[in-house]
Amino acid sequence: MADQADFERDAMEYARQLYSAALRMTRNPADAEDLVQETYLKAYRAYHTFEAGTNLKAWLYRILTNTYINKYRKESRRPAEVDLGDVEDLYLYRRIGSEESAEVSRTTEDRVLDGLVESDIKAAVESLPENFRLPVLLADLEGFSYKEIADILDIPIGTVMSRLHRGRKAMQKVLWEYAKTRGLLPEGAEMP
Amino acid sequence: MSDHDCDIPDCDEALANLYEYLDSEMEDAEASQIREHLDDCSGCHSRFDFETRLKIVVRERLSEEVPPEFIARLRSALETENSASG
Repeated sequence: MADQADFERDAMEYARQLYSAALRMTRNPADAEDLVQETYLKAYRAYHTFEAGTNLKAWLYRILTNTYINKYRKESRRPAEVDLGDVEDLYLYRRIGSEESAEVSRTTEDRVLDGLVESDIKAAVESLPENFRLPVLLADLEGFSYKEIADILDIPIGTVMSRLHRGRKAMQKVLWEYAKTRGLLPEGAEMP
Repeated sequence: MSDHDCDIPDCDEALANLYEYLDSEMEDAEASQIREHLDDCSGCHSRFDFETRLKIVVRERLSEEVPPEFIARLRSALETENSASG
């Protein structure tokens, strides 16, 4: 059992990370602040049920995602979401041309990876349908393990893996479009 | 270890395990088989290397600065809650 008096000391260090995740969930700063604040108040009230010494970060994320799913999801406006049909493996890598010519493509790889700006990456994550966006955020932004993500989202590990992998591939498809728009690709590196 | 160890994965198997490998979700023995394959196969090495770099880029560029006034509001909300419940 954790002592409520210690809550602020223990939990505030995760506020920045929770805010980053909340912003990608709600897609706007005002809702993200509300979501994080509601999460902290709920966590504070329930802190006596938290087992001291276990994974506080994962516990906070579980409250965050549940609060988001129960409240904000219903209200959120849905921008166009990427079609999550079958996206092949190594979508971005193959299109950069790295399968054909390793030497030429290393330069292109660098240009694409350096040239995709924060807003491209954020928009690509936000374009994912929610079932895929949450596992991607929890794995790629937060570095949670598959097991932790399964516990946070209350879904089986196999589902975590398939959604995470499909979500990442779909993100690459969106990033490819940004790379083209930004002129990061050499002449003739269009569709294979 | 022999060059023809039947446990060593081929390119398709390595690729099928790409994300589990990058996410450090494989058992040590499996991961070391993938590493051996990557040492021997420049194609897969290059593929895995790109995906690793992309993963780092995504993580770095997704992080947000929190508005400092928000942290102050959060602390104050917790204090209000504390005095209300205490």
